[in-house]
Amino acid sequence: MTVAGGGATSRAEGTDELLLDVDDVVKHFPVSGGALDRSHAAVKAVDGVSFSLRAGETLGLVGESGCGKSTLARLVTALHPVTSGHVRFKGQDITSLNRRQLRPLRRSMQMVFQDPYGSLNPRRRVGSILSDPFSVHEHLSRAEVRRRVQELMARVGLSPEHYNRFPSEFSGGQRQRIGIARSLALRPSLIVCDEPVSALDVSIQAQILNLLEDLQAEFMLTYIFIAHDLSVVRHVSNRIAVMYLGKLVETGPTEEIYLSSRHPYTASLLSAVPVADRAFRSERRERIILTGDVPSPVDPPSGCRFHPRCPKAQALCAVQEPVLERKPGDFDGHLTACHFPVVAGEALANASRQTTAVSGSGPAEAVNP
Amino acid sequence: MSAMRADELEIVEEEDPELNEQQFESRTPWRLAWRRLKKDRVAMVSLGFIVLLILVSLFAPLLTALIGHGPNAQYTTKGLSLSGIPVGPGHNGFLLGTDDQGRDVLSRIIYGSRISLEVGIGATFLALFLGVVVGLFAGYYGGFLDSVLGRFMDILLSFPILLLAIAIVARFGPSLGLLIFVISLFSWPYIGRLVRGQVISLREREFVEAARALGASDLRIMFVEIAPNLIALAVIYATLLIPVNIVTEATLSFLGLGVQPPTASWGNMIAEAQTGDLFTVAWWFLVFPCVALVLTTLAFNLLGDGLRDALDPRYGRSHISAARKVRRAFRLRRTLPEPEPVEAKA
Repeated sequence: MTVAGGGATSRAEGTDELLLDVDDVVKHFPVSGGALDRSHAAVKAVDGVSFSLRAGETLGLVGESGCGKSTLARLVTALHPVTSGHVRFKGQDITSLNRRQLRPLRRSMQMVFQDPYGSLNPRRRVGSILSDPFSVHEHLSRAEVRRRVQELMARVGLSPEHYNRFPSEFSGGQRQRIGIARSLALRPSLIVCDEPVSALDVSIQAQILNLLEDLQAEFMLTYIFIAHDLSVVRHVSNRIAVMYLGKLVETGPTEEIYLSSRHPYTASLLSAVPVADRAFRSERRERIILTGDVPSPVDPPSGCRFHPRCPKAQALCAVQEPVLERKPGDFDGHLTACHFPVVAGEALANASRQTTAVSGSGPAEAVNP
Repeated sequence: MSAMRADELEIVEEEDPELNEQQFESRTPWRLAWRRLKKDRVAMVSLGFIVLLILVSLFAPLLTALIGHGPNAQYTTKGLSLSGIPVGPGHNGFLLGTDDQGRDVLSRIIYGSRISLEVGIGATFLALFLGVVVGLFAGYYGGFLDSVLGRFMDILLSFPILLLAIAIVARFGPSLGLLIFVISLFSWPYIGRLVRGQVISLREREFVEAARALGASDLRIMFVEIAPNLIALAVIYATLLIPVNIVTEATLSFLGLGVQPPTASWGNMIAEAQTGDLFTVAWWFLVFPCVALVLTTLAFNLLGDGLRDALDPRYGRSHISAARKVRRAFRLRRTLPEPEPVEAKA
């Protein structure tokens, strides 16, 4: 697969301009248990996440399903209101703005959605869908709108003559191109891609990723790229943030994370990436199999949220929550939230076997190649 | 071996989309639905009947002029026998016979179709408009507005419609406009509830979120994004509501609260026919208006069912035999069938 190649090194590094600053953002969804239920339980989808993004950068956001990636994306783009915390876009706090005040900001902050079937209105023609950005934000003549829409279609690799077709007449990859064209229409500076390729065939994934990369260079775009496919994230990102149960557990430059991850969760995620080519297999670490399921975000574990599944967990982990900080020996910008970070060369799979034996939850499933 | 495969893969080029242009051009959701509808013989026959009925009512004056008998003219010598018995079908140039006052039953049925269609279609369109607008607001905003509008619709639906209609008509005096208003007043909540349910599922779709991300206003999302996805549902249930409203009109006219004699309406024709016992010897002037009413109702119902199958093929009822479809439609449909989800996906 070509996407796994070392494209990341050739990517342009971000500039110094701070585009987005996310500060301790929290999103709790109340769980209603009926009129008589006064318990006020809440799904803690995002629970205190901070990061910042410079213009021109690509931040890869990874994590299991349900860890709050998509919710975080919708908080950043102000589609959901935050429970607490601040999101500053180009220095302006967008969390306190109402819809009317947000409107001009929408021009420079767009989103590409995961499902290329659900994100396009099935009853509207593509030309009409793509003219939406112009009719919402700009007052242009019909002919001008049509010209711009066809220009957009050509830019993302669609035939402008297909202006009058319905979304159902396009393939998944083509539809995702339409979604990208829509987000690109107003020349935004930030595009949040919520798993833009996970619904596509692998061969199409590469095309879409290359398109996104070309567009980034052409329009000086900043991306937040959400995915659960780590090889895809490695290909596109300058920086990676790993989420677990609503919190960031590790963040840092892409290669740094891939080569010397410090958080046991990151290490186990990376060990799960399949490698198709035999030649690369030898350099891989042993496989770390996590036991148990992701705990419920309604009632997350105490202390470090990863401790019930962590192969390195100790008594302290259940009591004290680790802060996201730079560990000794790491580069600047590589932050880890762990009391006992992984040291290079450490055999986590063995640790995993020990803990499972102690807890008595059946035989260890760790497999050494 | 593997190298050869790779070569083969490279040779395979992407199919030129232009080649399929002709085939693609007709794949719009509506054309696909029309293609499916054309295969449904029952629905097409019903559609043919309805088109014929509309033409007949449009050209009613022309047709009655051709027949030579006005709808209200009393042919006391030609149309009645010496003992005052109406002339039977086919006699003296009366194709469907005459009624107790010597009027041509065919001409009256032709003119009656105008009333039926006017009230049936008029009231349905009014109900559709009200139902879609109220359903959109209730479903989209939810919360308090939804509760208020929802309760209001429930209250309207729980009223004994006939009783209230009688009261209203008695107060304001019968007229065609009032008839349309009263009938739509009691039928729009059906549409409103259906639309509300549909909007609740549509507003969670990603394309609505995409519109919100673009900064579109609520009104724009409701009428540009959501409303086009309601058209299929609206078309289906409007077609099913028309016969209900036609029957309601006939009922009110039968009770003397609708169209006033001597103006012909199927309802008051039936009412007049069964006041005496003349129909025991001259059955035709009671039976033919009934047949016209039943056939019209049946045609709209069958077309509505066919439209539902065509617009939402996932129901896949095309395997049901024509006879069974007709039997099913005959089950007296005084109210609309339970809301069935009509998915917006093409």
